Amino acid sequence: MNGVVSMNSMISLNCPRAVAIACLSLISLSSQAADTSVTPRQQWYQDIGALYTKLAEATGQLQEDATALCSAPEANSEHQLRSDWLSAYRAWQAVRFVDFGPIEVNSRAWQLQFWPDKKNLVGSRVKTRLHQDTQISKADIDEAGVAEQGFPALEVLLYDDGMADLTLSAEQPCALLQAISTHLNETSMTLVTDWEAFGDYYQSTDSMTQATLHAAMQTLETIEDKRLGEPIGMMGSPANAYRAEAWRSDASISLIEASLQGLKEGFLPGLMVSLDNIDRSDLAQAFDSQLNKTIKQAQELDGGITSGLEHADAQAGLTTLYMKVAQLRQLLNEQIASALGVVRGFNSSDGD
Amino acid sequence: MALDRQRRKILKLGLFKWGLGSLGASLAIGGTNLATAQWVLDNQENRRQWFFSAVDDLEGNHHLAGIHRDGSEHFLLPAPERCHGGCLHPHQPQAILFARRPGRHFHVLDARHHRELQSIDAGPGYHFYGHGVFDPSGRWLYVTANRLEDAMGLARVYDADANYAHHHDIELEGIGPHELKLMPDGDTLVIALGGIKTHPDSGRIKLNLDDMDPALLLVNRHSGEIQARHRPSHHQLSVRHLDVAENGGVIVGYQFEGPIWETHHPLVARLDPQGKFHEFDLGGLQPKLAQYTASVAVSQSQSGSSSSALITAPRGGRIVMLDQQSGEIIAAPELADAAGTRCDGQGGYIVTTGNGGLYQVSAQGELTQLAKLPLRWDNHLT
Repeated sequence: MNGVVSMNSMISLNCPRAVAIACLSLISLSSQAADTSVTPRQQWYQDIGALYTKLAEATGQLQEDATALCSAPEANSEHQLRSDWLSAYRAWQAVRFVDFGPIEVNSRAWQLQFWPDKKNLVGSRVKTRLHQDTQISKADIDEAGVAEQGFPALEVLLYDDGMADLTLSAEQPCALLQAISTHLNETSMTLVTDWEAFGDYYQSTDSMTQATLHAAMQTLETIEDKRLGEPIGMMGSPANAYRAEAWRSDASISLIEASLQGLKEGFLPGLMVSLDNIDRSDLAQAFDSQLNKTIKQAQELDGGITSGLEHADAQAGLTTLYMKVAQLRQLLNEQIASALGVVRGFNSSDGD
Repeated sequence: MALDRQRRKILKLGLFKWGLGSLGASLAIGGTNLATAQWVLDNQENRRQWFFSAVDDLEGNHHLAGIHRDGSEHFLLPAPERCHGGCLHPHQPQAILFARRPGRHFHVLDARHHRELQSIDAGPGYHFYGHGVFDPSGRWLYVTANRLEDAMGLARVYDADANYAHHHDIELEGIGPHELKLMPDGDTLVIALGGIKTHPDSGRIKLNLDDMDPALLLVNRHSGEIQARHRPSHHQLSVRHLDVAENGGVIVGYQFEGPIWETHHPLVARLDPQGKFHEFDLGGLQPKLAQYTASVAVSQSQSGSSSSALITAPRGGRIVMLDQQSGEIIAAPELADAAGTRCDGQGGYIVTTGNGGLYQVSAQGELTQLAKLPLRWDNHLT
């Protein structure tokens, strides 16, 4: 996680918490003062768009470095590529809470990240792909299933034990590396242009407010139950590191931290406007404060879930993170949701 | 290897349940003719006393439920999985509820004694899509299913007289069949082919949104011949739900699988009794439905006046009542999370919602709440 702390978290780390809250409140107040007509959806639209742009930039860098490694392996390091992969993966986590709009088209969220993967489809498909008779092409990956198209497939190439005998810059691994990074970058760039096309609809459709609030609620639920609770053994079955995301790279906690940062950058400002509109900025401040505490706890953990489960101290740290996420979820999904009149539809959110 | 073992285990479990269930079924079938006659009477649309549905309780547990038409009574039977649509046996007091995609069972309920009689497994290599329909004799049950090895859409045919033993399959030359009904001729199945490919290995992920090929199919249930294939105006308009009028007109509900901000795509279509297929333009209402319809019901009123159709649109938080011939909107009241609907036999409809509501909708489209229960009524009412 070191070296990938974003600007926002620097602010929260360097300032006492109360000051940070005051700063943020001022920022939100001043932006409102500048333009009193800013609506929650206008704020969200702008902030989420910025996160998609960051994702496109990060995957662009990843694609460039994959190409560089393959064309001149001696001058370019695999270490750099791993670091770019993590940065881009984190950029995706930051905007992963958005589950409506362009991301829904062509199952793009699944293309970026096939997870959970209980049957290790990603691992087995990548291995099969590496053994195909013909040279791996980008078309192969564009036409492949979602298990081969995203960040987890790259993780297999970069971190899987079974790849230890493999030279990453050899012909087939390199072709696959480039095909997947290019696919990721193209998907991300399409998300940026489609987010623009989505603008009028998003800002003029009232139900999108509920959709955005639902999206954040769902994300906290997934972090608590699936991304943390299940692998660390809080959901009624024993701890199992293979249930974690990114267990091969031990980056699971870094990814969770990136998702929380994404809520801070892409969701919190619009939420503040929403809550200000009903004179409940106290709830916004409480959410901001709890979010900061949770991010800080994630940053204080050294490794991911895979390594964390092996040490009692780290395990305690994981449990603390789990509890902080649970409190954050409760605040949003109960108090804030009820103050904003959010109702989660059963058939409207998961019909057939 | 582990997978094979798992499959065998599931298969065994299925057979075990099947064996127990068949005992129950033969007891029920051996009941008096009086009970059967009563069921046939009760089953007529204008006298229906009980409706059936899948529900979740507030803790998220799944059940099969029955509710009296006035909302005064209901019962719940625990279910191992979330279910979806259902159908009634035309002559026996049995209701069938089907597991939701990609579920692997359908459940036979004793509609009078409020208990489950049987649970039928789709068999290894198959899953159901959540809908089925009986032939007029009540012997043959047609269930939409996926054959996983080649993603072939099927109507699997089960023999109700042989404890719902699987009999044969009708291949539909397409992917993702969803709701199906029987045409008034008693020989033709009308099938909504959704066009969406999924595989249980990847849960409910839609695997082919780029090259979907949905359609409304007319299929001879005896020969399996596909007699007509009507394609919607856009390849991402998934043909999902439908109902048939007594004159043979079919009203069809779509779900658009493309970008949500493309709001101009139609959501309701009609196959007229002469076999002409066309889509309705709902005008300014269309963008408000969020490109999604959950259920379709066609009024079976005998009154002779022009009959209506009801479409539920939970993502838009509305129900839409249309003149089923002209497509003219009669009423489109807001109703949060409305999904299940059936005609009430008097020109109106019963509607259920994910918030536990049971509503009566008059022929003019006025809503009356009949009951509100701490339940989440699932997608369809039977």
